[in-house]
Amino acid sequence: MTDGSHGLSARINEVREQAIEELKSVSDGETLRDWERKWIGPKGEITSMLRSLGSLAKEDRPAAGRDAQALRSKLEAAFTPVQELIERQQMERRLAEESIDVTLPGRRPDIGAAHPISAMIDELIEIFAHLGFQAVFGPEVETGRYNFDLLNIPADHPARDVWDTIIIDDPAAEIVMRTHTSPMQARTMERLDPPIRVIVPGRSYRYEAQDASHEWMFTQLEGLAVDTNITMTDLKGVLQELARQLFGPERRVRLRCDFFPFVEPGVDFAVDCAICNGKGCRVCKHSGWLEMGGAGMVHPNVLRGVGYDPEKYTGFAFGLGFERLVMMKYGVDDIRAFNGNDLRFLKKFATVTI
Amino acid sequence: MKVSFRWLQDYVDIDVSPDVFAERMTMAGLEAEKIEHIGDSWDNVFVGLVRGVSQHPDADRLVLADIEAGEHQLTVVTGAPNIAEGQKVALALAGARLIDAYADELKYKTLKPGKIRGVMSEGMACSEKELGLSEEHEGIMILEPDAPVGVPLKDHLGDTVIEFEITPNLVHAFSMVGIAREASAVLDSDLRLPAVADLSNHASDDELVMNDAPGLCRRYIGVVIEGITVEPSPSWLTARLTRAGVRPINNLVDITNYVMLETGQPLHAFDRNLIETGRIVVRRGRVGDQIETLDHRIRDVDESTLLIADGQKTVALAGIMGGVDSEVVDSTTSILLESAHFDMVNVRHTSRRLKLRTDASTRFERGIDPELARSAAQRAVRLILDLCPDARVVAWNDTYPAPVEQRTVAMPFSRIERVLGIPVEADTVLDVLTRLEMQPTIDEENDSLTVHVPTWRSDISIPEDVVEEVARIVGYTELPATLPTGTTPVVERDPLFLLERFIRRTLVSAGLYEGRSYATLSDADVDQWSTTTSISLTGEIPSSNLVRLRNPVNSERPILRPAIVPSLLDDIATNLKHQTQVKLFEVAHVYSGTGEGELPDEPSHLAIVMAGHRHELSRFEAGSGGHDELDFWDVKGVLDTLFDRLRVPATYKPVEHPALHPGRTSQITCAGQALGIVGEAHPRIATGYGIEQRLSVAEIDVTVLMALRPDLDGMQITADQYLPAEQDFSIVVDNDAEAGRVEEILRRGAGPLVTDLVLFDVYQGGNLEPGKKSLTFRVTFTAPDRALTDKELAKNRTRIERALSNELGASLRS
Ligand SMILES: [Zn+2]
Repeated sequence: MTDGSHGLSARINEVREQAIEELKSVSDGETLRDWERKWIGPKGEITSMLRSLGSLAKEDRPAAGRDAQALRSKLEAAFTPVQELIERQQMERRLAEESIDVTLPGRRPDIGAAHPISAMIDELIEIFAHLGFQAVFGPEVETGRYNFDLLNIPADHPARDVWDTIIIDDPAAEIVMRTHTSPMQARTMERLDPPIRVIVPGRSYRYEAQDASHEWMFTQLEGLAVDTNITMTDLKGVLQELARQLFGPERRVRLRCDFFPFVEPGVDFAVDCAICNGKGCRVCKHSGWLEMGGAGMVHPNVLRGVGYDPEKYTGFAFGLGFERLVMMKYGVDDIRAFNGNDLRFLKKFATVTI
Repeated sequence: MKVSFRWLQDYVDIDVSPDVFAERMTMAGLEAEKIEHIGDSWDNVFVGLVRGVSQHPDADRLVLADIEAGEHQLTVVTGAPNIAEGQKVALALAGARLIDAYADELKYKTLKPGKIRGVMSEGMACSEKELGLSEEHEGIMILEPDAPVGVPLKDHLGDTVIEFEITPNLVHAFSMVGIAREASAVLDSDLRLPAVADLSNHASDDELVMNDAPGLCRRYIGVVIEGITVEPSPSWLTARLTRAGVRPINNLVDITNYVMLETGQPLHAFDRNLIETGRIVVRRGRVGDQIETLDHRIRDVDESTLLIADGQKTVALAGIMGGVDSEVVDSTTSILLESAHFDMVNVRHTSRRLKLRTDASTRFERGIDPELARSAAQRAVRLILDLCPDARVVAWNDTYPAPVEQRTVAMPFSRIERVLGIPVEADTVLDVLTRLEMQPTIDEENDSLTVHVPTWRSDISIPEDVVEEVARIVGYTELPATLPTGTTPVVERDPLFLLERFIRRTLVSAGLYEGRSYATLSDADVDQWSTTTSISLTGEIPSSNLVRLRNPVNSERPILRPAIVPSLLDDIATNLKHQTQVKLFEVAHVYSGTGEGELPDEPSHLAIVMAGHRHELSRFEAGSGGHDELDFWDVKGVLDTLFDRLRVPATYKPVEHPALHPGRTSQITCAGQALGIVGEAHPRIATGYGIEQRLSVAEIDVTVLMALRPDLDGMQITADQYLPAEQDFSIVVDNDAEAGRVEEILRRGAGPLVTDLVLFDVYQGGNLEPGKKSLTFRVTFTAPDRALTDKELAKNRTRIERALSNELGASLRS
């Protein structure tokens, strides 16, 4: 062993003690990084020690190198847990600082809501699409021909009185606000050949004083199926599907004889009340049934009017009101609410998944 | 039509309860709209006989009545002015629940015995009001002399009144007999027709009636009866009329009304001595004809009006109302009874023209059975003879040149199954149609069914009508439910609807609520919103293009709207009373006239309106200086997003509109087509709608939008493979340069690799020259097939710089 190697060995001991001592007082990231830089970093004490090996006698160099490396390992081993501890402490401190009152309200995005009638139209289009019905749309202002004549409602017939009609001021022709979506029956049959399965959602208008259950502007759904073999049982089946999709799989449909000039036989249809299961309650006015609309087999005169041979084709048609449907489903008690643009009303439908 | 359940059983036995009966009739097509039970609350009320009446010892206005009702014998103190010995009255005992006649609203009280001015009153003789029979409370109700003493009043007078809705096809059921006839078919119970007098026993007088208008009067029966005494009707008759909602007048008028209710045939009685020359002339009106009808109004008559006249004057509006000059009055001793059939269309027209609807006209205009005139006349004669012992028929005539023919419907028996979807047994069909008096025959081998339609069933003429008769009586309850078989037609989706739905969904996710408003506007609305540059955006709306209603429900709003925005404005101020923020839109048809006799165009429009705070109250916004107002930018931003998503490159240009803010309004065009308008309302206009906040609106023609929307079918949509490159361009231009123009040039210069372009800073002042502004855009370039190199981007930048400098004299700031 040479003097030089003795000197280095003393230095190693000195460094070890000093470094370990200093490490004990390291308490944060910054002093830890300073310590690392000073002792074990690329420009630190160990590195400079290793560089100085060249000044030693050749035979001393390997042992001194080993000692220096051993010191580095030792210091690194001492460093690692301190580093981990400090990092953990730092993270804990950060998390504590970032802690919030999670009961405070969140940052809300703005979302509006569709109108309940639009939403119901979307829903019925979807239900009927499964049954093979296509949605078609037509004009709200109609000729007397489409609104009445082609629907087997001749001029001067008392049946025409049933529809209190809003008339367009036109000296040249009978032009009216459509009183129902039924004019699209003829328009569709004129445009397409059987088999036909369409629904027609749209606004309709009647000259009617407004109150909680009457509105002069309302929304109807027309349905029409024409083929060589359409029957009344098909009508009942389709209406039953509608009732079940809207009000649940247990629902039943009731047909009752009724009169509409453009169908024969004609019926009205009702669904048994889902709230009381048909036993009778306030919602169904203790009848157990909720009336939905009118329906029947397309009148031969209607088929003939659009050039269909009634001996060859039969069809069914039905009509129902969207307002009534939404009122039934959600207990809305004033039909005028649908046209009032009252956000208090519209916002309530934002919670409904129709 | 109000039907007394008791009265109905004169003609048919009904062995089910009134409620079950109403339900079964409803299922068969006669809807019971209302059921009123009379007498359900009359416990402890009996038919009583007034044995004697004496003065109350201590009260001038009160009497003591001794009333007997079976085992009950009691003294009643009453102030009724009309009580007298020997009367039958409704006697209420202690515990009876009666209507409080002095309460303002319907209230029941329970009767307790009590002393009145010192005398014990053990019960009460009731008024009609106290029993809920009418509003009558002047005196007590006097029952008819043959009312059975001691019987509960409920058994004697209790009833159920069912109000049936008579649809236009069911004119045959618009009478007691008609309802009974339906009931007899529905319940399979025999029908009993009312007793009649046979007129054929009397000699006919051909001079009695002259029918000059056989086209409008198919049949006219006149019967002259002498020896009449006009007096009040017996109580059974007045009771039945009252229950049916008809006010009793005198025996003659009451009989005509009664027979009309009973048979459905309107009748009229003239005072025969006031029929000059003693004969009836049926003729059209002439210029100068007038008639004073029973309602004491002078009616002008024209050639379309069918009149009943005598030798000199007009005596009735045929089928509608009689005249005062021949009215039956108390002194009348002989009458001419009319039972006729008038043309339904003519009655309807005259009734409309004169705005005069009567019980008679509502029946005639539905088209009643001409055969009915005879049986109704004979029924009325029978009742007149019954009620006036001295009455006798002295002359009569029935002019009926073209009797109605009975229709026959011959059809395949299998038609029933073809229409209903299930077979019905031949026996059942025969039974049902026989109950309906249709004399059916079925030959199953030859697949034939033949029926002979009764004359009163004018609604039955084709096989499907017969199918319905079978179905409605058998009932639809057992009908199975199937689904249509065969080929399902191709479902094509309406492109305009899909676009409208896309718009609705986009706007809802952008925080707007969908509204819905009435389709009409006032003249003031239209004047305000569409004088010069119309909000319908098709240029000025000539007033001839406005579609006007002849009979608007709201007379102040007679115009079908050419634009939606004005119809949303009334509701904004209302909403702002309870909302801090109003963001509404509506998608609907608007209307633009295309000329006389033609249907208007109905393009689809989108309207947006916004007012109030930009943000709902929240802790996140509170720090940033309170509440910003929604303004132009909020509406435009929604449109920017919408048009972006639809890939419709819209162009904005300042425009003036009389209702909008001159400095904050823009026309929207695309490919040279007007697409819409966006702007803030002129503060004066907003104030007019009660809105003090900024009011921002937009109206977009969705039909045009659909035409401009690129066809994206088959377009390849792939995720970008290479990282985009972003570059910022700060462009210095004159202050008055439009950003839209700068953007257009920038976009053109930037070339096809631009995938996004956002203007994110507008800067003035600082080290900029006065009169200049700097617009900073961030442009994103993406190439589908390579990573862009710095060299490429630098080349791009040079090109952009050149374009801006050439076209705008603009420079790029680094
Ligand atoms: Zn219920």
